[in-house]
Amino acid sequence: MGQLLQYILNGLAKGSIYSLIALGLVVIYRGTGHLNFAQGEMALFATFGAWWIHDHGVPLLFAITLAAALAFVGGGVIEFGLIRPAGKKSPFAVVVVTIGLFQALNSLSGLLFQGAGTGLPFGTLFPNKPNDFFRLPGDAIWRYENVGVLASVLAITGILFALFQKTKVGLAMRMVANNPDSAKLSGVSTTRILMLSWGISALIGAIGGALVAGINTNVNLATMFGVFLLASAAATLGGLDSPLGAVVGGLSLGVVESLVSNYPKDWWASSYVGADTSVAVAFLIILVVLLVRPAGLFGSSRVERV
Amino acid sequence: MNALLEVRSLRAGYGAVQVLHGFDMRVNEGEVAVILGANGAGKTTTMRAISGMIQRKGSIVFDGEPITRTPPHEIVRMGIAQVPQGRGTFTDLSVADNLRAGAYVHKGIHIESDMRGWYDVFPRLSERREQKAGSLSGGEQQMLAIARALMSKPRLLLCDEPSLGLAPIITQELFAILQRLNTENGLTILVVEQNANLAVKIAHSVFVLETGSIVASGTADEIANDDAVRKAYLGY
Repeated sequence: MGQLLQYILNGLAKGSIYSLIALGLVVIYRGTGHLNFAQGEMALFATFGAWWIHDHGVPLLFAITLAAALAFVGGGVIEFGLIRPAGKKSPFAVVVVTIGLFQALNSLSGLLFQGAGTGLPFGTLFPNKPNDFFRLPGDAIWRYENVGVLASVLAITGILFALFQKTKVGLAMRMVANNPDSAKLSGVSTTRILMLSWGISALIGAIGGALVAGINTNVNLATMFGVFLLASAAATLGGLDSPLGAVVGGLSLGVVESLVSNYPKDWWASSYVGADTSVAVAFLIILVVLLVRPAGLFGSSRVERV
Repeated sequence: MNALLEVRSLRAGYGAVQVLHGFDMRVNEGEVAVILGANGAGKTTTMRAISGMIQRKGSIVFDGEPITRTPPHEIVRMGIAQVPQGRGTFTDLSVADNLRAGAYVHKGIHIESDMRGWYDVFPRLSERREQKAGSLSGGEQQMLAIARALMSKPRLLLCDEPSLGLAPIITQELFAILQRLNTENGLTILVVEQNANLAVKIAHSVFVLETGSIVASGTADEIANDDAVRKAYLGY
């Protein structure tokens, strides 16, 4: 029992980061129907930015905050300068642009930040000494860092949901997501909302990147590959247009990953079944879920009467 | 009479295909004007041109202000609200949120009291205010689309084929409401219809659109007495 709890707790911390990156994907997908393949690398670039600012003597929390704020602006600029012009040509052009952006941001990171390839040391915002943990029943421990990551992600998610549901800007975002034409006819400047969506997406991506780097105590050019893969899987699992789905999808994939990579080791003392298998199992689950519910767990297979 | 909307040599279309070939049209303040036309005549294109949803050439003047180059979200602010064809509600949003969405151009305090006002006019919506719009019946969605448009407090309401896909009895109810909005609230309304009889009954002026040009226009009586138009559009 204690072991199970332990694996679940470990999985939740990682999963919460998948949720965050998945939320970034969903925010953009809802607005435009585009999957942003550069989401992970945008987060990576911002994380390197945070490293650079921190390296110049700014406390880590402020460095991350500043990098996230710059990412917000950068996201808007990317939408305005690259995505919008491409979108006028065709939706496929946007896909190609986001893949190009993925490449470009990764290469640019390698070019700008000395040592990005092998990795730069990244601090954590939470206490992570060997004995920084809560003791739970059944010999399970809950590390302060994992608690901190999970709590941060839940707080950000809460703020996002309040923004969507309680504010006028949030209403406009939901209007554009549901019916862009009627949104325009109701007085919403859809272009401004899309720019804002990219900004928000980049901002939460930056925070996600910094949290991953904190857990790894290192940021390198490959940091976001696996995270992005799992996050896009989480978004698909939850239903690409559902913020709640992204959160549930991310958390459950994190837990599945943790269970699958740990239990076989315990049972068979086998190193053949390990962390890599967990990705395969995660995708198998997604495959099954999508067979049963093609729109994802919380996605809207639009209910409409005519 | 004061022209609220004045259209001159309006040309518009989609990409290389021109649908409207340059016509004039005038809607006076306080009137109900109806555009009749068959499928593909350019009725919806006319509506979308006025509300700014497509590129258009020529001149569109609303209340003395040219709006030919104004983007749609600003045209709403000036006082033109469109109920698009096929209802155009926000199907994933609740009925109440749809009405709030309609009031997007306005600030704060009057919105909730405006909503209560329209719930009185459309009691069915009041019963379903927390339901998703997509779960309403076709007639209820059309009522919601109209109420949503009214929340922006328009001076000109554009209705694009409100009767599309609705049962005759619902259509009658709908036109009765449009007529009330005109007579009691003084709202100017431009309706596009294929289903001409009801529309002409509440209309002051009528335009007949054929393949992108206006081929006949006049008061509702004149049009009803025009043999060719009557045969083609009113069916008797």
